[in-house]
Amino acid sequence: MEPIKTDIVVVGAGPGGYAAAFYAADKGKKVILVEREKRLGGVCLNAGCIPSKALLHATHSMRDMEHSTERGVAFSKPKIDLDKLRGWKNSVIAKLTQGLAGLAERRGVEVMQGRGYFEDSRTLRVETSKGQKFVNYDQAIIAVGSRAALPAAFDLGNKRVMTSTEALELEEIPKNLLVVGAGYIGMELGTVYATLGSTVVVTEALPNILTGVDSDLARPVMRYAEKAFKEIRLNTKVAKMATSGKQIKVTFTVEGKAKEESYDRVLVCVGRVPNCKDLGLENTKAALDEKGFVKVNAQMQTGDPAIYAIGDVAGGALLAHKAMKEGRIAVESILGEYSTSENVVIPAVVFTDPEVAWCGLTEAEAKQKGIAVQVARFPWAASGRAITLDRPDGLTKFVIDAESERILGVGIVGVNAGELIGEGVLAMEMGATARDMAESVHPHPTLSETLMEAAEVFYGYPTDTFVQKKRTPLP
Amino acid sequence: MDVRVPRLAEGVESATVANILVAPGDRIEKDQVILELETEKAVGPIPSPVSGEVSRIHVKPGDEVSVGQPLITLSESGAAATAPAPEAKPQPAAQAKSVRPAAAPEPARAAPQAAGEYRYQSAAGAPPPAAPSVRKIAGELGIDLTRVKGSERGGRITIADLRSYIAALQQRPADGAPAAAPTAVAEEKHAPQAIDFSRWGPVEKKPITSVRRTIGQRMYESWHTIPHVTQFEDIDITNVTNLRKQYGPELAKKGKHLTLTPFVLKAVVAALKKYPIFNSSLDEATGEVVYKNYFHIGVAVDTEAGLIVPVLRDVDKKTLADLSQELNALVERTRKRKVSLDELQGGSFTISNQGGIGGGHFTPIINKPEVAILGIGRSSLKAAVKDGKIEARPILPLALSYDHRVVDGADAVRFIGELVGVLENFPEDLLKD
Repeated sequence: MEPIKTDIVVVGAGPGGYAAAFYAADKGKKVILVEREKRLGGVCLNAGCIPSKALLHATHSMRDMEHSTERGVAFSKPKIDLDKLRGWKNSVIAKLTQGLAGLAERRGVEVMQGRGYFEDSRTLRVETSKGQKFVNYDQAIIAVGSRAALPAAFDLGNKRVMTSTEALELEEIPKNLLVVGAGYIGMELGTVYATLGSTVVVTEALPNILTGVDSDLARPVMRYAEKAFKEIRLNTKVAKMATSGKQIKVTFTVEGKAKEESYDRVLVCVGRVPNCKDLGLENTKAALDEKGFVKVNAQMQTGDPAIYAIGDVAGGALLAHKAMKEGRIAVESILGEYSTSENVVIPAVVFTDPEVAWCGLTEAEAKQKGIAVQVARFPWAASGRAITLDRPDGLTKFVIDAESERILGVGIVGVNAGELIGEGVLAMEMGATARDMAESVHPHPTLSETLMEAAEVFYGYPTDTFVQKKRTPLP
Repeated sequence: MDVRVPRLAEGVESATVANILVAPGDRIEKDQVILELETEKAVGPIPSPVSGEVSRIHVKPGDEVSVGQPLITLSESGAAATAPAPEAKPQPAAQAKSVRPAAAPEPARAAPQAAGEYRYQSAAGAPPPAAPSVRKIAGELGIDLTRVKGSERGGRITIADLRSYIAALQQRPADGAPAAAPTAVAEEKHAPQAIDFSRWGPVEKKPITSVRRTIGQRMYESWHTIPHVTQFEDIDITNVTNLRKQYGPELAKKGKHLTLTPFVLKAVVAALKKYPIFNSSLDEATGEVVYKNYFHIGVAVDTEAGLIVPVLRDVDKKTLADLSQELNALVERTRKRKVSLDELQGGSFTISNQGGIGGGHFTPIINKPEVAILGIGRSSLKAAVKDGKIEARPILPLALSYDHRVVDGADAVRFIGELVGVLENFPEDLLKD
């Protein structure tokens, strides 16, 4: 069979893959986008960011209405129509994935549905529903992503043991739900199910929830979780799971002692694994690192000069926006432009209640690496806007290089922290100092003021709170 | 205290960190080697000026560093740091004195920073502050932003800062060590599109060494700025061969091995004395020719790392036997990369002898800022006409490349004629020890 010739083939149509394919097409390249699933968008659109945020939004309204009674506006108890909620969530997905298909078409990106397999460094075999196709490319971009890990010990072949993918299907609201893993996925989905009425227990092997997040930023989330969840068990390992009638019998190990409990459903959120297998990578010169991710350089190029890898499959933070940026870096490198993944600021957001968002250097990292920094915190209890929202449980902080006053890191916890962090990213990318932030006028009354005020805290002159120590101005 | 990059050698302003031999927390003694710098053409050890404990290392292997830049920070010998205050009080002056003079030379720090010497430093390891758009342009031009001084708050680099940095680079002479950057810019700009050779078969990639890079830059610059002409000649060296047979064994007993090169060195000096234009340099800035009244001859040495040219000083003042011995030692040290930076500078003429490994006529490239170079091939028996008869005689191929801006063809013929004259009738008294 005559192979199909193309400039660039992108394998996987998640955010990284479609961003790369669209950008390459916009730059005049002939692009084939290969996707195993019927719908474009990958995990993010179909079983990750988008459906989880749709459900979080719906449940957030419920929580807000409940608190409203205290503010003198009472609503009747919400009625949950699970089919309708699921239907709305699915319509959000459908709208976005169809949008992508349209965008691909308008750019002349050929979408090929099927599993891609590298025959050699220049040939991708695609198993489509109409038989095999061979694509002969100049450059390939691997963007096949990752999937939720389900350790063999938990894989009972029982749908009552779910990963995030199944949990987002929202088949039912279990009476009792165990969430294994208090990382951001476990905490987000635990929040959704708890609000919908499940009795939720979260268990975590490590001593903290949201590992990697500064403790002062995680604290408000912990405070919420303590109320919303029946229990949060830290330092606890799940030893075993077994089917027991219509329930799952779970054996925990707490301080060396075994403990058994039964749950209607279990949600396993213990990390994600790259989809590197069955790709035919062994037929190319691309290599994997010790954790099983595809090894790439700062131009996202693998050990095979014709093959690039981006997003989750290339390791690092498993975030859609990181994949999208890497997609652009790969395309720019292919086009011979200067582009590098070095020193790119990648923000992270946890959509819990309240949200946590940060970028750059965290306080804990600075401490661990022995970097001398100053931290300026502005508590939202001093923010007019936060108080009118009845959400003073937030904090905005900067990690600042004491010598140059440059902003090295930004951390926010509070409602809409995810929306606020963008300004922090821009500040960092622009090399802004705390002075730049303090002198930029922010609209009143908004939560964005907390960024300005946190910078003012650094100098000792915030308007809405008082700081004893004043900073000596730079010469 | 900080241990800074000391003055390296005349005209050498920067170096590459080759090896770091200490780690944070190490206790080191005064004069202990803390790291090695690869400079121009040699690897040089950097000893610590004082004893102390390594508290920080500011560089990593591969970093380019400039004179005066801090390399490591030492917390001075335990006593100073931990001694109770009263004890230290009576003699603060003495203490300061005992440490300061030993420290790396101050001048570099005191001297105003030229554009090329600035280096951005961040204790947090952050990149220089600049907007993504500015970083992208710098990347495209191959400009290292750590060298650009930012004018805005926190040292942020604006597009205007980048422009003035580029302008400053372009104003600097193409000659001399600190000017490596503009060539780098040009090279990056003209970097050919990467070709994927693995399409045609297995390949292996190795990074080029800094010696190789230096050779490349030097050769490229010489080839592109000097109009080269190469004059060929064959010389009958029967006379020299006989002298070597006659004096060689006796000198060998004294441990001095008489090779051909010293004879050529002496002949070259004789020719340089007669035609001083070959011992000159062209000062392109002033338009003057600088005649040198000394005879320091560079000798090209083939090393594992690549071509290195150490310089023999005052060749005119040394005996043939001493030259022979000195040359052997110099070549040996060069091959082991033990040659000092000063030994690589100040040549007034260069010879490149390929005879040891073979070779006929070739076209050597002038070792700028010199104006000529003599290439020597391997001598072999060839049919020559002597007194009307054909005889087999040892013939040495010579090739003289010269800078046609300074030297004309007629000069070259005369110069080679003098060389031939000296080598065919080599003055025997030069061999007397």
